[in-house]
Amino acid sequence: MADKGLKGGSLGIVAVIVIGVASTAPGYSLAAGIGGISDAVGKKAPFIMLFAFVPMACIAAAFYYLNKADPDCGTNFTWGVRAFGPRTGWISAWGCIIADLVIMPNLAGISGQYLVLLFSEKAATNIYLTTTIGMLFIAAMCWICWKGIELSARSQVLLLGTELAVLTVFAAVSIYKAFNGVTRTQTVDGVATTYHSLKPQLSWMSPSGVNTHDIIQGLVLAVFIYWGWDTCVSVNEEAEDSSRTPGRAAVLSTFILLAIYLVTSYGAVSLLGPDFVANSSSDALYELGKIALPTVLVKLLLIAVLTSAAASCQTTILPATRTMLSMGAHGAAPAKLARIDRKHLTPDYSTWLFGIGSVVWYLLLVVVSHNTSHDLYSSSIAAVGMAISVYYGLSGFSCIWYFRRHLFKSFKNAFLIGFLPLIGGAMLIFVFIKTIWDARNDAYGYGTVFGIGTVLLIGTILLVVGIPLMLWCSVKYPTFFRFRHDPADTVPDPNSEQTLAAQLGTYTKDNRYGS
Amino acid sequence: MAADIIVGIGPEGSGEAAAHYAAHLAELLGRGVVLVFGYEASAMGPRGGPLEDQIEAIAAEVTNEVKQRLIEAYPKVSFEIELVRDRPVDSLIKVAEARDAELIVVGHGGGGPLRAALLGSTSYELVHRGPIPVLVVPDDPTSSDD
Repeated sequence: MADKGLKGGSLGIVAVIVIGVASTAPGYSLAAGIGGISDAVGKKAPFIMLFAFVPMACIAAAFYYLNKADPDCGTNFTWGVRAFGPRTGWISAWGCIIADLVIMPNLAGISGQYLVLLFSEKAATNIYLTTTIGMLFIAAMCWICWKGIELSARSQVLLLGTELAVLTVFAAVSIYKAFNGVTRTQTVDGVATTYHSLKPQLSWMSPSGVNTHDIIQGLVLAVFIYWGWDTCVSVNEEAEDSSRTPGRAAVLSTFILLAIYLVTSYGAVSLLGPDFVANSSSDALYELGKIALPTVLVKLLLIAVLTSAAASCQTTILPATRTMLSMGAHGAAPAKLARIDRKHLTPDYSTWLFGIGSVVWYLLLVVVSHNTSHDLYSSSIAAVGMAISVYYGLSGFSCIWYFRRHLFKSFKNAFLIGFLPLIGGAMLIFVFIKTIWDARNDAYGYGTVFGIGTVLLIGTILLVVGIPLMLWCSVKYPTFFRFRHDPADTVPDPNSEQTLAAQLGTYTKDNRYGS
Repeated sequence: MAADIIVGIGPEGSGEAAAHYAAHLAELLGRGVVLVFGYEASAMGPRGGPLEDQIEAIAAEVTNEVKQRLIEAYPKVSFEIELVRDRPVDSLIKVAEARDAELIVVGHGGGGPLRAALLGSTSYELVHRGPIPVLVVPDDPTSSDD
């Protein structure tokens, strides 16, 4: 065969890494998350950056093995049904859709803001302008997903390379300047505050001196920065030499992500201290970039965040609509959700439904946060962290329960499908419960509505709305809700040759096999 | 046995002009035609299960419709269908190599070099990577708006 190209034959290792890292969208994740994380844990941001990866990596192991048993685009939905039955699967799917929906205003807001910042700093404070651009951004991204437009492998490598290079330069320059000492005075609402740079220290990577409450608060924000990384674990199906590519790609993309998050958080925190990052949380990366970099590079940083946000938007819309498609196709929700456009081969109904939902939700947030002093962008990241914790946590426990007959067959099984998913699942569910517990009294500083923390309000209300919706579906679609979880003795060992589970719905409550 | 002519078919009749041209050549040369529909859902999200099953159903329907029209127009030529879960370019190369084919014929929607560089283009990529001769036929402007 002639030159195989980047994706030659099937997905090569470079393509899998690019997909994994681009899906995680480090530029956008940092722009959105670094302010809140610094606010929560101060200079210990590098520690949280590293620590948040632990539960995410553990759950990736669960995703990998569940995906082997049933590679279904509904992922945690299908796996939840197989392990625990239709109700758990349905709620798990809802958690996933809500996580995707809740992050859309943030994506749109940051894209609107950073796009305007490219041209004028003054115009970026114009909420009507940035909101309009944000809505157009959502519409454009839905259109791209619906049309099935995808960048060529080469363009993706180029974009991602630029993004990583700009972030690295930003981090290096910031750390260099911090060692030499920087002082800035900023006046906000007539109050002048002077910020000083901090000399980077290795102890920023250790949890010493941070209390559990702050760690949890940091974690709920930071799980979001690794969200999407699991895609490179589940593209295994088609990957060239699929026994080695996904493993190596996952390790390499992990290394790239950890390195980039570590150096940028060091750079961000040291340049003018964590308070500066926390106080300019809505556009922290831009404010920091202006101090560290020459104008040309600042523009490049803005462009890197924008392209990263676009990639992130795609990896938000696609999983949401494919979960909806899977639910529609398996009869758990209206069949329309599973409709595929004949020309573009993408789920059109789900895509536009999700797009409309996102715009409505975005406008609602803008109106609420404009009329109150609540920092709803940060709290929406906390809310997404909660939704991620629920559905990732459930996937971890689904994995353990689903493969329960195979857990102790080998050390490898016990570690990869038992221990890791347990650690990940337990950590995430703990984060979820602790966040609700703490947010009761507005311990989160994002403002309160009727004395309840907005994080709790946004995250929990949306998740809870899923329960009546599920009950409604269970009346409307009784066949699906008669499905039984896969009996343990029918589950194949994920490390054996035979790894395909029986069709979903093969086992039903009235024992009518083979529906 | 005479080697086959491979044709790339896309959604909603893209590649139909190419298929007609291939059938025309096949009739002159006494060859068989293989209609290949390669499809791959974006890897930026989870795949598999109902997503690909439904895409495959659409692919089968579209390719069958094209085949019926070709049979009417070229009754002497034999037509086969292959649906492949892979990128269109890779699907065509796979089928061409597996069948030891003679020629690959693909349509071209009229996108320029910039579009090809940014988004990728089956015909551009195939011209460079094709293991056997490749023939690019402009799409009928009335059958596709792309």
